[in-house]
Amino acid sequence: MSTVSHIFRTPPGGVRRGERMVFWLFRGATYFVLLCGATVFLNIVIKGSHTVFKAEAPFINTTFLTQAPESLYIFEWEGKKREMGDREFRAFKEQNPAAAKVETESYVYSAGGIWPCIVGTVLLVVGSMTIALALGVSAAIYLNEYARDGAFIRFVRLAILNLAGVPSIVFGLFGFGMFVIYFGWNVSLLAGWFTLAFMVLPVVITASEESLKSVPKGFREGSLALGATKWQTIRKNVLPYALPGILTSSILGIARVAGETAPIMFTAAYVVRDKLPWDVEKFGDFFFQGVMALPYHIYVVSSKIPQNDYTERVQYGTAFVFLLLVALIATASIVLRSRLRNRYKW
Amino acid sequence: MVIATPEIMETRRAAPASASPPSAGKDTIVDIDHVDFFYGATQALNDITLAIEAKKVTAFIGPSGCGKSTLLRCLNRMNDLIEGTRVARGTIKIHGVDIYEPDVDVIELRKRVGMVFQKSNPFPKSIYENITYGLRLQGRSDKAKLDEVVEKSLRGAALWDEVKDRLHASGLGLSGGQQQRLCIARAIAVEPQIILMDEPCSALDPVATAKVEELIQELRSRFTIIIVTHNMQQAARCSDRTAFFYLGRLIEYADTRNIFTNPANPQTEAYVSGRFG
Amino acid sequence: MIETSSPPVAPVFAVKKRRLRFLGLTVDDTIRAFFGGNALVAVIVLALITVFLFREGFGFFAQNRTNLEVYRRAGLEYVDFIRRQTDDHTALTRYLSDVRLRQLKLLTEQEKKSLDEANAALAPFDAFAEQFSATVDPLRALMAELTEQATALKTKFAVTEDRKVERHQLLAEGKTAEATAVKIDAVDFATELLPLRAALPAYKETSREFSRKLVTLLDATPVLPAAELLPRMERLKQLTRDYLAGFPAIEQAMEAWDYKEPVPAWQTFTSFLFGRQWLTASFWQDWYGILPLLIGSLLVSLVALAFAVPLGVGAAIYVNQIASVREQKLIKPCIEFISAFPSVVLGFFGIAVLGQALRAASQISWLSWVPGFPYSERLNILTAGCLLAVIAVPTIFTLAEDALNNVPRAFKEASYALGASRLQTILRIIVPASLSGIISAVLLGLGRVVGETMVVLLCAGNRIAIPDFTQGLSVVTEPVHTMTGIIAQEMGEVVRGSIHYRALFVVGLVLFVLSLLINFLAQKIVRRYRISIG
Repeated sequence: MSTVSHIFRTPPGGVRRGERMVFWLFRGATYFVLLCGATVFLNIVIKGSHTVFKAEAPFINTTFLTQAPESLYIFEWEGKKREMGDREFRAFKEQNPAAAKVETESYVYSAGGIWPCIVGTVLLVVGSMTIALALGVSAAIYLNEYARDGAFIRFVRLAILNLAGVPSIVFGLFGFGMFVIYFGWNVSLLAGWFTLAFMVLPVVITASEESLKSVPKGFREGSLALGATKWQTIRKNVLPYALPGILTSSILGIARVAGETAPIMFTAAYVVRDKLPWDVEKFGDFFFQGVMALPYHIYVVSSKIPQNDYTERVQYGTAFVFLLLVALIATASIVLRSRLRNRYKW
Repeated sequence: MVIATPEIMETRRAAPASASPPSAGKDTIVDIDHVDFFYGATQALNDITLAIEAKKVTAFIGPSGCGKSTLLRCLNRMNDLIEGTRVARGTIKIHGVDIYEPDVDVIELRKRVGMVFQKSNPFPKSIYENITYGLRLQGRSDKAKLDEVVEKSLRGAALWDEVKDRLHASGLGLSGGQQQRLCIARAIAVEPQIILMDEPCSALDPVATAKVEELIQELRSRFTIIIVTHNMQQAARCSDRTAFFYLGRLIEYADTRNIFTNPANPQTEAYVSGRFG
Repeated sequence: MIETSSPPVAPVFAVKKRRLRFLGLTVDDTIRAFFGGNALVAVIVLALITVFLFREGFGFFAQNRTNLEVYRRAGLEYVDFIRRQTDDHTALTRYLSDVRLRQLKLLTEQEKKSLDEANAALAPFDAFAEQFSATVDPLRALMAELTEQATALKTKFAVTEDRKVERHQLLAEGKTAEATAVKIDAVDFATELLPLRAALPAYKETSREFSRKLVTLLDATPVLPAAELLPRMERLKQLTRDYLAGFPAIEQAMEAWDYKEPVPAWQTFTSFLFGRQWLTASFWQDWYGILPLLIGSLLVSLVALAFAVPLGVGAAIYVNQIASVREQKLIKPCIEFISAFPSVVLGFFGIAVLGQALRAASQISWLSWVPGFPYSERLNILTAGCLLAVIAVPTIFTLAEDALNNVPRAFKEASYALGASRLQTILRIIVPASLSGIISAVLLGLGRVVGETMVVLLCAGNRIAIPDFTQGLSVVTEPVHTMTGIIAQEMGEVVRGSIHYRALFVVGLVLFVLSLLINFLAQKIVRRYRISIG
C-alpha cells in the first residue's frame, strides 16, 4: 500500500495527469496563436529592415522614406549588372547614349521610396479621426449623459452595434456611391475621410461611452447640487476626466483606420500620384484630391508586380514601415490604457 | 397607518400663507403637503405632510428604504435625474413657492438648496477650485472676492486651519472626514438657504463624525439644515426636530427630545429603542 | 411668513427665472438636441448605406432581365443547347485523359517501366482517346457557325439600343434635326433568326452521326494495360451511354424553343441568387450568378473558423481560467496586438511566405494522407483561411474571454465546494454557463471573416468557379473568388451605371444583409443568455 495513508491523498490513476494534459492543450493553443502572430511580425520586420535600414551611417535608408516610387530598371552594362531607378536611368542614358539600346528588365514601383504613401496615410488618419471623434464623442455624451432609456435609445444602440459589424468593403461601396458619385467629390481626401470616419464611428462611440461611464456619479450630482446646468456639469466636471480615456481608447480606432484598405480603394486612394498633397493650386483643391496610401500601395505592389529579389525590397519595406506604424499606434494605446487604469482611482 | 400625533395634525393645518404651527413657534421654510412619490410603479413616499422650520436642524430617521433619502432629494429635485420618478400628488413649497411648478428653474432652485452627499465627492480639482466651482458657474471671477469666499467657507466648515497652506493641492488628497467637510464648504460657498445632508457621516470614523457634527451645530445659525441619518445618536445629538419614517410614511414628527424620550407612537418607540431597523 | 423667515441675503426665494430661449428652446435644450443629433448619426449612416446600396444596385434586376431577354431573342440560348452538348463531351474527354494519367503513373511507379515503355504500352489507348475526342468535331464546327450568327444578331441589337439612347439624348438636348438623322434599324428577330432555326435539320443529322460514331467506339474500347483501372473504364462507358441517352431531349428542346417566350420577372432574381456562373466581359453572354462567390466566401470563412474557434476559445479558457496572473498580463496585450495587424499586411504575408510554405508542406510525402495534399495552386482556400484565422482569433478570444469573465464567481466556488476538480469545473460549469456568449463570439468572428477583403483578394486564388466538392475535404485546396474580393477587384474597372457595376452593388447589398443577419443572431443569443443568468 501507499506510504501516505490518510484519506486526503491524491487518488490513484491518471485523473490528474489527464487534467494536466488538457491544460497543456489549452496552453498549446494559446502559445500557438502567439507564435503565429510573432512569425508574421518577425518575418516582415526582419526582411523589411533590410530595406529600411542600412549598415553604414545614417543607418536609415532615407531614399526609401523620402522619395516617390519609380520604376526599377535592371540591365547589363559593361559586363556588370546594374540596377537603376527611372530618373537615374534616364540621366545615365544621356551620359551614355549607347545605353539607350541596352536590353532592360523593368519593374514598376520597385525603386525610389514611399514618402507620398506615408503622407497620404497620415492625412487620411488625421482627417477621419477628427471627424469620427467629433461625431462619436458627441453621440456618446448624448447616450451616457442625456438619454433616458426608451425605444429611441435602444434603436440607436442597435444601429451602433450593427454598424460595427458592417464589412469594410461595404463602407467602401457606400462611400463610393454617396461621396464620390452622388456628391460628386470624385476620388478625394474628403470622401476617404468621411468613409473611414463612419466606419470607425462605433469604435469611438463605445470607447467614449465607457470612459464617460467610469466618471463617478458623485461628480455629476455634486456639480448639479451646486446649481450647475447639465452642460456646465458635463463640460467642467465630466468631460475633462473622461477625455484621456476617450483619447487612448480611440487610438485603437486610429489603428483600424490606418490599417484598412478596402474603404479607401475607390474613395481616396490613387495607385500613383506624382504631386504631394500640399502641391495644390488653390486651398480648396486640397480636399478634393486623391492621395497615395500605404495599405493600398502594399496591395498594389504585392498583387500587380511579380515577386522576385528586386521587387521584394519595396514590398517588404512598405509592409515593414506600415506594420511598424500601426504597431506603434496599437502599443501606445495598450500601454496608455493600462497606465490610465492605474492612475485614476476615485 | 399614519398615526395622527398632535404635531402632525398641526402641520397639516399649516397652510402656506397662514401662520406657523403654534407648537413649533418658529417660521416654516419648507412645507411638504400630502406628497406621494413614485419610482416607476413603486410608491416610495405615501402621503407625506411635514413643515420644516428655518434655522433649525431637522433630522430624518428611519430604517433603510423608508423613504427618508427620497424625500430629501425631492427638496432640491435631485430625483429628476433618476428615470421614471415623479411626484404624483401633493406639493412641496419652499418659501411659499411650489418647487414642482413648471416655471421653476431647477438650476436656480439648487443654488438655493445645497446638498452634501453620503459619499464625499470632492471633484478631482484643487481645494480652491472645489470651493469656487459653484461661484464660477455663476460667472464670478473676481479673484479677491473668490479668495474671500474660499477662506470664509473653509472657516465655516472648520477646515481652514487644516488646509490653508495647501489650497491648491488636490481635494482628493484629504482624509475622508476632511473631504466631507470640504464638500460642506463647497456647498456653503454659494450661500444657499437650506443645506440638505444625506447621511453625511456614514462613511466616516467616529472622530471625523464628531467634527462634522460640531460643524453642523455651528452652521445652524446661518442655514436651515435637513439631515438624513440612520444613526439615532447623531439625530439625538445634533437635531432640533426629528421626523421618523417607516415604509414610505411619516410616522412621527416632533421635537427631537420628545421623539427620543417620549415617543407618541409605539413604532417610533420600538425603533428608537433599537428593537428593529 | 416670507417677511419673517427670509434670510437677509436674499429677500425673495427667487427660483423662477426666465432663461434665454431660441425657438422655444433654452441653451441647454439646444445643446442636448445637438448631442442627440450626433447620436442619430449612427442610425443615419446605417440608413444611408442601405439607401445607396439600393440606389446603385437596384437597377441591376431590370437590366439583368433585358440581358436575359436578349439572350433568348438573339438565339444565344438556342445555340447554347448545342454548346452544352459539346461541353459535356469535353468533360468525358477529360475523364479519359485522367484515366490515362493514372495508368501512366501505375506503369511507371509500380511496374517500374520507363516513360517510353509506358507510352508505348498506352498507344492503343491513345488511339482510342483521339478518336473519341474527334467525334465531336463536326458538331463543334456547326456550333461555331451558329455562334457567329447569334453574336452578330446580338451586336446588331446592342447597336440599335445605343442609337435609341443617342437619339433620346439628342432629343432631350433639343437637337431634333440630329435626332432624326440617327438611323435606327429595327431588329426583326423573327426573320433574323430564320437561318439559325433552319440549321435544325443539319444539327439533327450531325448529332445522329456523332451518336453513331460514339456507339461504335464504345464497342471497341481498348484493353487497358493496368487492370486496376478497369472500373474507371466501365464508368466512362456508363457515362457516355447516359450522355447519348440525353440527345433526344436536346433535340426536343431545340424544336420546342421559342424566341418569343417572355422572360418572367422572377428569373432575374433567381438567375442572380442561384446562378452558377459569374462571367463578365465575355464575347458571348454575361452571367451574374452570385453562387460561386457566395460559396467561395463561405468556404474560406469556414476554414478560417475551423482553425480560429479551437484556438480562440482554447486560448480564452486558458487565459481566463488556467493561466497565472502574470501570464494573463502578458498574453492579453499580445493578442490585442495581433488584432491590430492590418489585413493587407497579412495578405502580403500570404502571397510572399505562407502560400509557398503550405504548398511545400503539402508536397512532403508523409503528409500526403491529409485530404487534398499535395496540391499545386499556391493561393487557395486553405491559404486564405489560415490568414483569416489570424484575424478571427483575437475577436473570438476577446469576446469569449469576456463571456467567461461574466460567469458569476459563485458558480465556480459552489462547484469547487462540491469537490469538483479544476478541469471539471471549467468544462461542466464555466463553459456551459458562458456557452451562449462563446457562440456569439464565434458568430461575430464569422462576421469579421466574411467581410474581410484584402486577405481573400490577395490569397484566395481569385478563380470564379464553384469548387469541386466531389473530392470531399480536398476542396479546401482549390482557388476560389469571394464576394468581398470581387467587389474590390472589379469595382475600379467597371463603367458607372452598367449592369456589371450594378451587379457589384447588389453583391455588396448581399454582404450587408449577411452581416446584419450574423450580428442579429449574435445579439439574440447573448440576450437569451442574460436572461438565463439573472
